[in-house]
Amino acid sequence: MQRSSWLGLAFLSPALVVVLLFFLIPVVLTGFFAFTNMSTATGVKGGAYVLNTSGLRALADAGLPKSTLEQIEGAGYRVDAKGLEALAADFGQPVADEFASLHDGEVFSKRRDVERALKDLRSNPIRKTRDRKIAADLFKRSLLNERFDTLPGFEAALEEAGIPDADRPLITQVAYTGWVWTTENFGFLMSLDSTWQYAKNTIIYVVFTLSFNVLFGLFLAIATFYLPSGQAATFRAIWFLPRILPPVLYIVMWRWFTWDTGFISTVLSGFGVSPRNWMLDTELHAWTTIVLINGFVGASMGMIVFSSAIRAIPSSMLYASEVDGASRLQQIWHIILPQLRWPILFITSYQTMSLLTSFEYIYLATDGGPGGATEVWALAAFHTALNNYGGNLQYGLGATYALLLVIIGLAASLAYLRLFNFRNLIQKPRIEG
Amino acid sequence: MRISIENFTKTFGDTTVIKDMSLEIRSGEMLALLGPSGCGKSTTLFAICGIHRMNGGRLLFGDKDVTRVSSQKRNVGVVFQNYALYPHMNVFDNIAFPLKVRKETRAEIDRKVQEIANLVHIGELLHRKPAQLSGGQQQRVALARALVREPDILLLDEPLANLDAKLRLEMRSEIRRIQQQTGITAVLVTHDQVEAMSMCDRIAIMDNGKIVQLSSPKEMYEDPTSDFVAGFLGNPPIAFLEGKAAGGGFRLANSEITLPVPSGITIPDHGAAMRFGIRPEFFQPNNGLKLNGKISFVETQGREELYDVMLENGAVLRSIQSQGAGHKLGDEVSWGIAEDRILAFGPDGRRL
Repeated sequence: MQRSSWLGLAFLSPALVVVLLFFLIPVVLTGFFAFTNMSTATGVKGGAYVLNTSGLRALADAGLPKSTLEQIEGAGYRVDAKGLEALAADFGQPVADEFASLHDGEVFSKRRDVERALKDLRSNPIRKTRDRKIAADLFKRSLLNERFDTLPGFEAALEEAGIPDADRPLITQVAYTGWVWTTENFGFLMSLDSTWQYAKNTIIYVVFTLSFNVLFGLFLAIATFYLPSGQAATFRAIWFLPRILPPVLYIVMWRWFTWDTGFISTVLSGFGVSPRNWMLDTELHAWTTIVLINGFVGASMGMIVFSSAIRAIPSSMLYASEVDGASRLQQIWHIILPQLRWPILFITSYQTMSLLTSFEYIYLATDGGPGGATEVWALAAFHTALNNYGGNLQYGLGATYALLLVIIGLAASLAYLRLFNFRNLIQKPRIEG
Repeated sequence: MRISIENFTKTFGDTTVIKDMSLEIRSGEMLALLGPSGCGKSTTLFAICGIHRMNGGRLLFGDKDVTRVSSQKRNVGVVFQNYALYPHMNVFDNIAFPLKVRKETRAEIDRKVQEIANLVHIGELLHRKPAQLSGGQQQRVALARALVREPDILLLDEPLANLDAKLRLEMRSEIRRIQQQTGITAVLVTHDQVEAMSMCDRIAIMDNGKIVQLSSPKEMYEDPTSDFVAGFLGNPPIAFLEGKAAGGGFRLANSEITLPVPSGITIPDHGAAMRFGIRPEFFQPNNGLKLNGKISFVETQGREELYDVMLENGAVLRSIQSQGAGHKLGDEVSWGIAEDRILAFGPDGRRL
């Protein structure tokens, strides 16, 4: 490689680092997370093995044999060789021998029963209550509510409890508190009614906002084209304001505008309309606000692109259409709009992509409300994974939402490229000599 | 249709481009607006078709005052310098556009487009897009579009400027043929005197927003009213000799030579500055009024050769002669001026 190429790479490297850190790695990680059940409960590191009562219920639901369930539950206190050895070491061989002769192989579910048995030994009873408790604990073989930090420890415990080999994998799986790889997220999401509601909301959001963006942007561009240049520049600057305003400030102003003590309510109260929160009182109002908020921001971009495209049309072509007898409307319809085909297609596809994934204005304005009516897919992913009321952040599930959105976005891009005949779009321009 | 421009004034901001101009274009004639760039010829054309509003004066088509009529309603066909074809429409739709916006029937449109396409010889190209046409073909489409709705007036704005030399020759005669065949009143804007002279019935030569002379090409060439007109027409251009009136003759500047002034020219007062204009074809070896000089430049043009002859006082005369005379750079020559063809101009540039 030539030295200049290295220099180019060196100049590029900060950008590469940024792309890697803030784009590629998050995307790849999202892809991974989508195939896990990570959540606040599992943590992102490994976990331990605990069987609690809800775990048992889950095992029962999963069809574990009743006998095995009883073994886990009643694992309680078992008189076995290991316990007897320990008893012999602490309280002498005779005690152990006698206890073995009376109760070997027996299982006690409660400590008190073990203590009574120890007390009832004929020749070598243990007199002190404290000692009996210590001795009884030597036979404790419980699985319930015991925390095992490692898999071998848990497996050893299962072995001791005499759990049948066939049932062990299921029990291990239920008992594990860390995250595991899974493909169940996808099926689970599809089975949720709310998922389909998010999809419907996203379609409403994208279709209406996009139409508003493109049509209003077109209207502004054409309207300002026919204005004297000074006025046109002023109008364009005004319509550009929403885009350069900080989003939070922009939304705060919308909230002031729509609050029950805000502008609309105040003005309408003069006409006898009772004050209300115009942004959140009904679904229709929420959607109207969302579409307008996003639409005004998006329209400014369309306006800029369409304006410059219109100004790129040679003026002689417009003159020609005028002397050919075309009225203003005919001129717009037959001459200007056909030549805006590529800009319109570009803005449409670009805005579809960005609207699919954008939720910042919705988050700041309605946060999906009222009652989830404006909860779009991207916002749902955010809420599920990173910010929800319940506090159990389901990273894996949220990542699955995000991954599905990426797939939908890719499919939509491919559809657009096909629809708009991308090869024509990038065709070499003809330079007229 | 007759076009009358009366006291036309046009300003852009503070700049007055055309002031108080009057011009009458006869019905059925082809008139050239000829002049250097910036002289206001295109502005005049755009005022006739209504793209520019007139700031003062009146415009009449026939007897009808169209000063305040919008360009859509004037029924004027315009061919623009870059043709201004609509790139997203094929040739048929381009030509049909003026008819379509007038909501004529499909059958009527088909018939008229076919007819006009045959007139301009592009009958086979109707399904092509403008980008698939050569410059000359685009030019024909633009002409067809301007003519298809049978306009009262055809305006051509530098129609040949974007064509290469050979096509320009071809389209020159084509446009003239079509204009004569349709009998339409046409105005041609050009800066090329050859186009103006070869295509038009009359030429209006413009300078600084004024019409300097209005006459037929032949008359304008032979009988220019000013040195500007004489210098603008003719290729190779006319050569001027500077000097002053002295004792009934013309004394060349910085020289003792005095040339006789041809009869019919009023000689100004003794000592007044004047100029002789001599066209290259009237400075030849066998003419009578001899001048000595040295050949300072030779240009071979194929059929002819062009010589610059530097006189003793440093002035330069041009001569165009048939091939084969064999004069060389640096040769001392004594060639003559055709006395009756001398054009004399006064100090203000007016013809004497």
